[in-house]
Amino acid sequence: MKLRNPYLRENITGYLFILPQFLLFLLFIVYPIIEGIRLSFYKVQYQKETFVGFDNYATLFSDPVFFKSIVNTVIFVVFIVLLTVVFSLFVASAVFDKNAKYVSFIRGSYYIPVMVSMVVMSMVWSFLLSPANGLISYMAREMDLSVVNLLGNKNTVLPVIIFVTFATNVGQAIILYIASMIGVPKDLFEAAEVDGASRLKVIFQILIPLVKPTTIYITIVNIIAVLKIFVVIQLLTGGGPNNASVTMMYYLYNNAFKFNQLGVASAVGVIMFIITMLLSVPQLRSMFKDK
Amino acid sequence: MLQPNTKSKRQREKYDVVSNLIVAFFAILNLFPLYWLFTSSMKNSSDVVKMPPDWWPKTFTLSNYFEVFESQPALRWTFNSLYVAGLSTVLLVITSSMAAYAFSKLQFKGKNLIFVLLISSLMVPKEVMIVPLFRIAQDLGLVNDLHGMIWPNVATAFGVFLLKGFFDSAPDALREAARIDGAGEVRTFLQIMLPIVKPGIGALFILNFVQVWNDYLWQLVIGQDREMKTLMVGIATLMQDLNPNFAYKMAGATVAAIPMLIIFVLFQQYFTRGISIGAVKE
Repeated sequence: MKLRNPYLRENITGYLFILPQFLLFLLFIVYPIIEGIRLSFYKVQYQKETFVGFDNYATLFSDPVFFKSIVNTVIFVVFIVLLTVVFSLFVASAVFDKNAKYVSFIRGSYYIPVMVSMVVMSMVWSFLLSPANGLISYMAREMDLSVVNLLGNKNTVLPVIIFVTFATNVGQAIILYIASMIGVPKDLFEAAEVDGASRLKVIFQILIPLVKPTTIYITIVNIIAVLKIFVVIQLLTGGGPNNASVTMMYYLYNNAFKFNQLGVASAVGVIMFIITMLLSVPQLRSMFKDK
Repeated sequence: MLQPNTKSKRQREKYDVVSNLIVAFFAILNLFPLYWLFTSSMKNSSDVVKMPPDWWPKTFTLSNYFEVFESQPALRWTFNSLYVAGLSTVLLVITSSMAAYAFSKLQFKGKNLIFVLLISSLMVPKEVMIVPLFRIAQDLGLVNDLHGMIWPNVATAFGVFLLKGFFDSAPDALREAARIDGAGEVRTFLQIMLPIVKPGIGALFILNFVQVWNDYLWQLVIGQDREMKTLMVGIATLMQDLNPNFAYKMAGATVAAIPMLIIFVLFQQYFTRGISIGAVKE
């Protein structure tokens, strides 16, 4: 192709290079968002769509199970993210300046559950917690605890899911913090050491403030990951007992693929979309700040 | 203390010792569920539910594994997962390296705006739009088709985000030299620039492969026939299986876990680097 105008030519080259990615982006990200917003105002029965205004949203906000799903999702987000940030800061600040073999052992053993996936880990935990045959239930019986079936009790089911999700996924945050702490300039520590600062003081006054961008990143990525928490709910509790552990994503899935309420499910999706967009503003801002 | 190599052999602080003991203790404890998974999968159906339990199996059997592969199309599922994760990743590497190159080195109108748009979508999980996405798949005839699991994964902007940084740090001088030699844009991209960003492509390949391999919800709704399920989705159905043998279920979970464990052992460096690259871009 011979184009005489070099400016036009460079423009076209640029567009051609981004074209495949951009088309996929339009078809599988932008269009579903627009279509999802539109569907949330419709009642969908097979091929027939009837405009119903805000009816789907009204249905949602009069459904106590939907409220339960919001409350549970918020509880999961708050506790899982807090546990993840605090524990991974603790782990990373303890090991980052030790020898490489030890660091890679710690990193590896916390990261392996992330690798083998939430599906596999949920299956193991479901076995461990199984009321009749599980190791944990057995130990609970041996220790005469009042609750043996931890997943079948509405007071213990949320803490158990919080713990399982946290224990499975914390490895990612640990890797990030270790990388970020290793990158902190050494002379800062030397100066603190000359001043006789204790290790705890160094951690709180130098390390934690300096890895703040990593903290923001971990917080946001984890909030969004927990917001769509699904696998562990489906495999461990099925939302039960009596909807005690239902989450927004699980509620959406059931409405869409079990109850065939596509309009209502779309409305849940729109609400979740708005939440993720609001939450990711600080992250996006920090990503574009260096431009 | 913070400098392990300094000669001043001051006593390690108490906090340092105690915190590392706790960290190491939990690191080992965190592996216990996996230990329980592997050993349970090799017990026979009565030993696996015996209370008090055998902490170490008295007899080892592989019969549960045979049962998984005989009663379930587990090989087919493994192949499906390999196909979906592999092809998604190859396509993503192609489309996103092209786009990342353009965003980094080429000048065109609306470049920054388009880039911001793409990156803004990074935080939106595809699952929240699963209803319209599923209807698109229906319209395109991609339901119950492995390719239906693939395309939405290729649409993610993650690859562009990750690779642009690598292209940014590749020197412009190389590009200009290639131009003076008369190389066109495509040749410059393929022969000069791509080899430079190889580490980035390696990281993207590994991270995305694992991401798609472990993806669940989308594969669950697209793969409806038993033969069309991926390994994760298929193995998860064993949980609802009427078979009460937990050893059999644990063998299934082990089968699903092993490929990723192998990948992790082989490519640990890539993970550590790849994951960090994504984040250390403030």
